[in-house]
Amino acid sequence: MEQTATRSWHDPGLLVKALPSVLLQTTCFIAPLLMTFILTFQRTRDFQLRWTWDLATWTDVFSKPHYWTILGHTLVMAAACVAICMVLAFPIAYGLATRFKRFENEIKILITFAFITDATLKTFGWVLFLDKKGAANFLLSGLGLPPESVAFLFTDWATLLGMVYNLLPFAIFTLYLSIDTIDRSLILAAYDAGASKWRAHWEVTLPLCKPGIWAGSVLIFLLGVGVFLEPKVLGGGVSPMSAELIRQTFETRVNWPLGAALTLVLMVVSVFVVLLFSRILNMKRAGFGT
Amino acid sequence: MTTAPILDIQDVHKDYNTYQALKGVSLKVRRGEFIALVGPSGCGKTTLLKQIAGFEDATSGTISIDGRDMAGVPAAQRPTSMVFQKLALFPHMTVAENIGFPLKLRKVPAAQIAQRVNEMIALMELKPIYLDRFPRALSGGEQQRVALARSMISSPKLLLLDEPLSALDVKLKKVLQSELKRLHRSVGVTFVHVTHDLEEAMMLADRICVMRAGRILQLGDPTDIYYRPADAFVAGFIGETNLLPIDVVSRNAAGITYRSEGIADPTGTIPAPLVADSVSPGQALMNVRPELIRRIGTHENADCAVNATVTEIFSKGGTVQYRARMPEGHDLAIEIQGTSALPMQVGENVRLGWAKKDIWVLAPGEA
Repeated sequence: MEQTATRSWHDPGLLVKALPSVLLQTTCFIAPLLMTFILTFQRTRDFQLRWTWDLATWTDVFSKPHYWTILGHTLVMAAACVAICMVLAFPIAYGLATRFKRFENEIKILITFAFITDATLKTFGWVLFLDKKGAANFLLSGLGLPPESVAFLFTDWATLLGMVYNLLPFAIFTLYLSIDTIDRSLILAAYDAGASKWRAHWEVTLPLCKPGIWAGSVLIFLLGVGVFLEPKVLGGGVSPMSAELIRQTFETRVNWPLGAALTLVLMVVSVFVVLLFSRILNMKRAGFGT
Repeated sequence: MTTAPILDIQDVHKDYNTYQALKGVSLKVRRGEFIALVGPSGCGKTTLLKQIAGFEDATSGTISIDGRDMAGVPAAQRPTSMVFQKLALFPHMTVAENIGFPLKLRKVPAAQIAQRVNEMIALMELKPIYLDRFPRALSGGEQQRVALARSMISSPKLLLLDEPLSALDVKLKKVLQSELKRLHRSVGVTFVHVTHDLEEAMMLADRICVMRAGRILQLGDPTDIYYRPADAFVAGFIGETNLLPIDVVSRNAAGITYRSEGIADPTGTIPAPLVADSVSPGQALMNVRPELIRRIGTHENADCAVNATVTEIFSKGGTVQYRARMPEGHDLAIEIQGTSALPMQVGENVRLGWAKKDIWVLAPGEA
C-alpha cells in the first residue's frame, strides 16, 4: 500500500492522467464549497458584501436556537420520509422484481413518467386535491363522509406527503435493483432448508437487500433534507425547513454570510447523521465481508 | 429395513402453460440407493427434481416420500434436501452460519448446532478455519463441500443433487465424484442425482434413469443401460456405439431370425435374451459396442463378420479408435487396446467380427 502510494507520486504521467478528474472536482465541487466557507467569515451591510474576516456570523448561528429548531425539524421530516418511503417501496419493488415481472417494463415506464414530471406541477396538483373544496373532499363527501374531512393541507403532514410522493421513485428503483439481483435459488435454498415464506424473507431477502435499502435511504435522506418546495406549497410555509430558511436568508434578507453558514451546518450535520447510521448498521458486514 | 420405496413417483405430469415438461413419469427409488436422472437438456430431469423437492406442484400424479403423499406439503416441510446447480450458498452468512442454517430454522440450541456443524465439516473434510469465512472466500470445490454439508446437516431422507458438479473443471469434478460416492456409502442416505453427464452417472449411480422429452426411456443399472439400451436414443446417448440395420424375419420364444446385407452370420438367428422386448418383425438395429469388435483373419470363424475398409485412426491414449466403412456405406467404430504396433492401417481392407453374446437387438425408434 505504502509503497504504491509513494511510487505513484514519482510517476510524472500520473498528474497528467488525473488532470481532467482533478480539474472537474475542483471547479465543480471543491471551489464552490471553499467559496461558501470563505463567505461565512464576511458580513453584509446595506445589501453589500464586506470583506471583514470575523466570526460574527458563526456567533450568530450558534447563539440563536431558532436555526437549530428548524434544522432539527428538517432532520426529523427527512428521517420520517426515509422510513415511509422504504416501507412503501419495498413491497412495490419486490412485486416488480418477482410477481409482476411480466409487466416490469410497463410499470417502470409509468413510474419513470411520474418521476420526470415536474415536481412543482405535481406539488401544486396535490394542493388542488387536498384543498378544502378540492377533489379529495368532494369524493369523500360524495361517499357520505362529513364535509372537509381531509383538512391536513398546510400542515407538516401535507409536507411529508409531498416529500414521500416526490422521492418514492428513488426508493423503488434502488430497492428494485437490489432485489432483482438476488439469485432465485437462494430463496429456494432457504425454503429447502425449512424456512417459511416470512422466515426466508427475514433471513435471506432482507439481509441481501441491505445495501439497496441503505443506498436508497441515504439518497432520500439527503434529498429530503434539501426540500423547499413541499414545505412552502403543501406546508403553507407554517413550519419552514432548512432549505427554505437558507433561501430566505440569501434572497429575502440578502445575508449571504449567514446563508452560507447555515448551508454548511446543514451539510455537515447531514453527513454526520449518515456516517453515524452507517457505523450503527455496520455496513461492512452488509457488504459481505469485502 | 423396510422394502417399501423411499420415493414413489406415480404418473406425474407437469405442464407449463402449453408446454408439457413431464408426460407421465413413474419411478420407485429404493432406500439408500444412488439413482441418477440422465438426459439431454430439456428432458424434464430438473423439473422432476423440483417436483420432488416441492418447489413446484405437479399438474397431476402423486409423489410419496417414505410412504407419505407429498401433495400440498411445502418444500420447507419435506424430508428432502437439495444441492443446487449454482450451490446457492448465502453470501451474507459465514460458512458456519450457512451449514447451521437448517438447524437454526428448526430451533435447535446453538451449542448443539455448533457441534453438528463441526461433525459436518469433519465429514466433508473441510478445514475448521473456514467456518468464520464468507463463502466467496472459498474455492469452487470448497464451496461445493459447504453446500453438501448444509444439505446433509438436517439428516434428510432424500438428498437431491441438481447437477452440482457441472460448473467444475474436469480434475476437481473427478475428486468430488469420488467424494460423493464415499459420502453416499458413509451416510446411507438416498441420493437422487440429476446430470447430463453420462459418464458421471455410470460412475456414481446404482441405477440410472434415462429421460427424454418428459418421459423415462429406460431405468436400469449402468451395465443394463450400456449394453442393453432400450432404444436407439439411449444407445447413442450413452457412449459411442454401432447400430447396424437388420431385417427381422420372424420372432418367437427362442429369439429372432434376421437378414442383413453386410453381416455374415452362418445361423441368422439371435437368441431371445439378446433381443429387446420392443423388437418385432421388420426393421431393427443390432447394437455392438466399439470395444467388442475385433479384427479377424480371412478364414477365421466368427459369430458375426463384416468386411470393411479402415478410414480413420484416432489414438486416445490407452486405446485406439478406428473407423471403418462397410461396402454398404455404413461406418463402424472399433476400439481396441493401444499397442505400439498398429494392427490396422488406413485404407486397408479388413475383416471384423464379434461374438453373438455381445449383441443387443433393439427397435429403431427415433434416434
